Amino acid sequence: MDFRFTEDQQDLIDAAKTFFDGEYTVERLRAMAAGEEVENLWPQMGQLGLLGIMAPESVGGLEQPLVVMAAVAEAAGYAGLPEPYIEIAGISVPHATAEQLSGFIQHAMRSELRPYIDAALAKSGDAVKSIDPLRNLIKAQGGNDEDIDNINLHGAVLSAAQLIGLSQCMVDMSVDYAKDRHQFGKPIGSFQAIKHHLATVYTQIEFTRPIIHLAAIKGGAAVHNAKVAAIDTAILAAETAIQVHGGMGYTYEVDLHLFMKRAWALCGEWGDRNYHMKKLEDYILNGDAELGPGVTF
Amino acid sequence: MDIEFTSAQKAFREEVREWLSAHVPKTRLPSFDTQEGFDFHREWERTLAKDKWGNVNWPEEYGGRGLDLISWLIFEEEYYRADAPLRVSQNGIFLLAPTIMEYGTEQQKSRFLPPMAAGDEIWAQAWSEPGAGSDMAAIRTKAVRDGDHYVVTGQKTWSSRAVFADWCFALVRTEEGSQRHNGLSKLLIPLDSKGLTRRPIAQLDGDPGFAELFFDEVRVPAENLLGPEHGGWGVAMATAGFERGLLLRSPARFQAAAARLVSLYKQHKDRLSSGVGEQVIQAWMNTERFCAATYQLVARVEAGASITSESSANKLFWSEMDRHLHRTAMTIMGAQAELEEGLDAIDNGRWLDGYMFSLAGPIYAGTNEIQRNILAERVLGLPRK
Ligand SMILES: Cc1cc2nc3c(=O)[nH]c(=O)nc-3n(C[C@H](O)[C@H](O)[C@H](O)COP(=O)(O)OP(=O)(O)OC[C@H]3O[C@@H](n4cnc5c(N)ncnc54)[C@H](O)[C@@H]3O)c2cc1C
Repeated sequence: MDFRFTEDQQDLIDAAKTFFDGEYTVERLRAMAAGEEVENLWPQMGQLGLLGIMAPESVGGLEQPLVVMAAVAEAAGYAGLPEPYIEIAGISVPHATAEQLSGFIQHAMRSELRPYIDAALAKSGDAVKSIDPLRNLIKAQGGNDEDIDNINLHGAVLSAAQLIGLSQCMVDMSVDYAKDRHQFGKPIGSFQAIKHHLATVYTQIEFTRPIIHLAAIKGGAAVHNAKVAAIDTAILAAETAIQVHGGMGYTYEVDLHLFMKRAWALCGEWGDRNYHMKKLEDYILNGDAELGPGVTF
Repeated sequence: MDIEFTSAQKAFREEVREWLSAHVPKTRLPSFDTQEGFDFHREWERTLAKDKWGNVNWPEEYGGRGLDLISWLIFEEEYYRADAPLRVSQNGIFLLAPTIMEYGTEQQKSRFLPPMAAGDEIWAQAWSEPGAGSDMAAIRTKAVRDGDHYVVTGQKTWSSRAVFADWCFALVRTEEGSQRHNGLSKLLIPLDSKGLTRRPIAQLDGDPGFAELFFDEVRVPAENLLGPEHGGWGVAMATAGFERGLLLRSPARFQAAAARLVSLYKQHKDRLSSGVGEQVIQAWMNTERFCAATYQLVARVEAGASITSESSANKLFWSEMDRHLHRTAMTIMGAQAELEEGLDAIDNGRWLDGYMFSLAGPIYAGTNEIQRNILAERVLGLPRK
């Protein structure tokens, strides 16, 4: 029992975070949101090993468990990563066969890969528009239910992880703003009401991350717990952040909205709050699973 | 990340489980905030100590088993699963003992730890004063050096179970004219010292769980100074870190309560409005989140990290989770919630007791407002002024 990442895993997670934070700046996010052409960073992601985190070693992947991907997803959330990276590296890759994956990593590194939505498809009437300017969505047909449940579990863990990354980012933006903005002759961050709101969000984040890690390793009810906790944390973070920003928070100009909208979007993805709560109802209220101390791990 | 218990840890769990099932009293002991209940709980501490179950993570020479913190968590899980009595020795074993291990002299360790482990000396905490609650640096009780003694004069309050306990660890002003955090020291004082008067204060439930302590020139041997003279604030903060951070409230206690809450819900389900179920689930979820977070914290501590300001987040989380959990139970019980005794009193008023005590959680060990200040200023870096 050692509920920590190994040093190698931590190095990988840190490298991913450095890359996301360094490359996906808000300037870049804004450019992409405005539909401007930006440099394709997928080859770099491939070179860093980020695309093959969960791919088998036989096809050049790193064969890391979902929990490592979850930590990378948290970093992606923090940066507001505007690419379907998690969907590919964390969801498609681990559900693909080795055959389907052969050549994938090599292609990716040679810049042949850039996920996009086919222009014709986008115009076909199946396109839907999200409030998040960085999400390109189309309506797709589902597979069978069992597949979806299985993929949902992965998706739930990784969307939960992104949500707490987004939450942390919104807290950090709010802290920066609260140190800078003065009213009544002092920084607003010196007011206790502001401090206490932000301390509450910080606490919720700290007590959501570990259950996400547990969910990634153990699956089961922990996944539903993790997703609901992450949703509630992210909504609290977003509402707190906009409040701390005052009128500024209600503008398109301040960066906060990019992260807030992503959080709204991910709350409903990969099983919304109702879906996961219903699963917990079955498990806790209607089932007869052993509950209490000693059964968490 | 490895979340499997080793076979040794699994065997340890079995061993704890077996011992507890043979020894845990079949009926709940009376409250340890009464003399009768205190005596029963002390007997229980002695029973635990006889077979070395009281402090599994302490070094063997002081009455422990020299095990790591994971084993301690396993012990706690089995302990609350078996619904064993609350630990009347908690202030000593969870707060003072780690401080003695860190700051005490060899002599202090061997003098104080074994009788604490044995249940022979039960400790109370004497920090708060009428004028120094949240603002602990306003402590005025003074200790003047006189040869090989300190002479203590002043008043402490809210000292849990000090009416019945044997010793107290006090924070007093040793340096004359010192201000605020400077000039304080930690002294270990027998509660039956000459010149020390204890006045019981009834708590919310009516039992004398608090004592006010009046010191009138109480002579304390200088060797009972714990840590550096005038450096008591740092020593006290280390204790507060243990209190808030890890030891005082492990997850098992709350997880056991969550499991009982689910049973309570199932019994009353038919008459409950639809939102109650979600509150029950939420209560359970919180206890699991707390458990996962604690295992991560323990992994870090075992790897050499120390617990600092983040312990404030811990304290916020468990205290607010506990209050929500018990509030939910009160909601479920409806008209029966107020009943302490009698045929219709569910579980003999246990939930009501639990709810009342859960209201203290956000107050003791530093109020939650203070914890939020600490997090905002020291962890998030918001300006003090
Ligand atoms: C069940 C229980 C057991 C206890 N056991 C012990 C014990 O064994 N030994 C011991 O020494 N003490 C003990 N205490 C005392 C406890 O530590 C204090 O009650 C606590 O520190 C608060 O101090 P106070 O009661 O003076 O409240 P106050 O400090 O007067 O606080 C009253 C209210 O004002 C708020 N407040 C105060 N300052 C600030 C600030 N700067 N910013 C925002 N809000 C603020 C508080 O958060 C609180 O809501 C115990 C308390 C309880 C309830």
